[in-house]
Amino acid sequence: MDNMIFELKNVYFSYLGKFPALNGIDIKIQKGQKISIVGANGSGKSSFLQILDGLIFADSGSVNFYGRELNEKNFNDDKFCRSFRQKVGFVFQNPDVQLFCPTVQEDIVFGPLHLGVEKKLIERRLERLVSILGLQGLLDRIPHQLSIGEKRKVAIASTLIIEPEILILDEPTAGLDPLTTRHIIDLLIDTGASGKTIITATHDLHIVEEISDIVYVFGCEKKIASFGKASCILNDMELLKANNLLHIHSHRHKDTVHVHSHRPSGQGGASSIGLDTHIDHH
Amino acid sequence: MKNTNFIQRSIIGALSFLRDSIFSQEQAMRPGFLQSLDPRIKLITFLVFIVQVLFARSLWELSFFYSLCLILAVFSKIKLGFFLLRTWIFIPLFSLFIAVPAILSFFSPGEVLFSRNILGLEFMVTRQGVDSALFFVLRVASSVSFAVLLSITTRHFELLRVLRVFKIPQIFVMTLGTSYRYVYLFVEMTRNTYLAIKSRVGILAHYKSGQNIVAWNIACLWSRSVHLNEEVYKAMLSRGYQGEALAWVDFKIRTRDFFWLLGVVLLGMTNLVIRS
Repeated sequence: MDNMIFELKNVYFSYLGKFPALNGIDIKIQKGQKISIVGANGSGKSSFLQILDGLIFADSGSVNFYGRELNEKNFNDDKFCRSFRQKVGFVFQNPDVQLFCPTVQEDIVFGPLHLGVEKKLIERRLERLVSILGLQGLLDRIPHQLSIGEKRKVAIASTLIIEPEILILDEPTAGLDPLTTRHIIDLLIDTGASGKTIITATHDLHIVEEISDIVYVFGCEKKIASFGKASCILNDMELLKANNLLHIHSHRHKDTVHVHSHRPSGQGGASSIGLDTHIDHH
Repeated sequence: MKNTNFIQRSIIGALSFLRDSIFSQEQAMRPGFLQSLDPRIKLITFLVFIVQVLFARSLWELSFFYSLCLILAVFSKIKLGFFLLRTWIFIPLFSLFIAVPAILSFFSPGEVLFSRNILGLEFMVTRQGVDSALFFVLRVASSVSFAVLLSITTRHFELLRVLRVFKIPQIFVMTLGTSYRYVYLFVEMTRNTYLAIKSRVGILAHYKSGQNIVAWNIACLWSRSVHLNEEVYKAMLSRGYQGEALAWVDFKIRTRDFFWLLGVVLLGMTNLVIRS
């Protein structure tokens, strides 16, 4: 029971009371698990993550964190709120949202500063993260002037500096070049290796197998379509196709027209170097 | 080609203003004398200079402070051409227009330097008029120059943080800082929206549809800013913000700052002694 971090039972959530985002979600997340949430655009991934981070609250159903319900009333308790924020870190999909301070340094230290971490300890953590993420020379820059890759790294740094037990990431590699994507995956693997619980929402199937043990597929009906080990889910072509995670297209290689589906390899080797498996139908 | 499109001119003007402010950040990052000072000490000493300029009684005194400002600019690796253009372009020129009537005998009677008859009216320029006009323009120019020199040799976020020295509430400083950070994003959004419109309807649009486009653009930006506001607030909550804003202060006062402060205080006292 102590290992159970999040327990969601029949969770419903809608925007403005009429646009459903989550439609009966049941999920249990245990300590140290590495989970990926995959799904097409608008399948409710971001809403789900925001519910886990206590930023929005379910219309119905229950969301428990270490056995205590996540609701507005509990978040009004300063002690609980601070303890929760120290344990759970959230990296937003849009780094422009997360980087709201006039400089990169102020953005990175914002979290621990507001969570009451001692200044010397913040400085030590900052120094370490700057070195790990290669943020030297960026600290006095205005976030607006950074490239999307740099912004993403700074956003991750601003969350990692809190040293949360649970790291939630919303599309951490969206819009990044291959090298920066690789850098972020390596960072997530290292973070996972240190025993943290990592929950990542993505529709980049190439990274899923590397960063997760369990994959949840969110369907267009805003509920969990399937879940299981990454290798099983990624090999289930029909499931991926039904949930807009796989597409079939044709293109020309010299004189031959190929028709094939784009899907990630079920085996670690190919996916780890980001290759697509082509299934030819001719 | 003459640019007559109002929307285009406004957007290009806003962008160029912002580019200028980014450029001035580059000046603040140069390894010059003023750039190396602690922002708090710099702000206090510049306020001392401005107060002395405001209470100056002679042209010599004002000339001294203006020259000091130019010397400081040179030692801070600011190009004089850039600095003079930036300081003289608005307020001092405006004040010059105000001061021009003061040189005439109608407002400042006294010793006539020269006179002209225009349309039967005798316009006489007096020494007292010229002195008071010069005094007024030089006072405005010196004050503006010190203020501009402070702003171009100090990074904007540091100036914001220094506001706390004057006990301005942190929530106000934080709101100002966040607005400063997002103004770039909104300008970028406006520019992209404008380009998207231009790519579909071209530059020439009927003035009525042009008005509609501007109104729609304002509404759209408003809606986006409201959405962004909600998201940013969530991002703040997520990292432990509980309604009380805290600031990261890492300013350090060094020996150089101490000597600079001492020098400015001594200069101020000497000035007072000379006056009395």
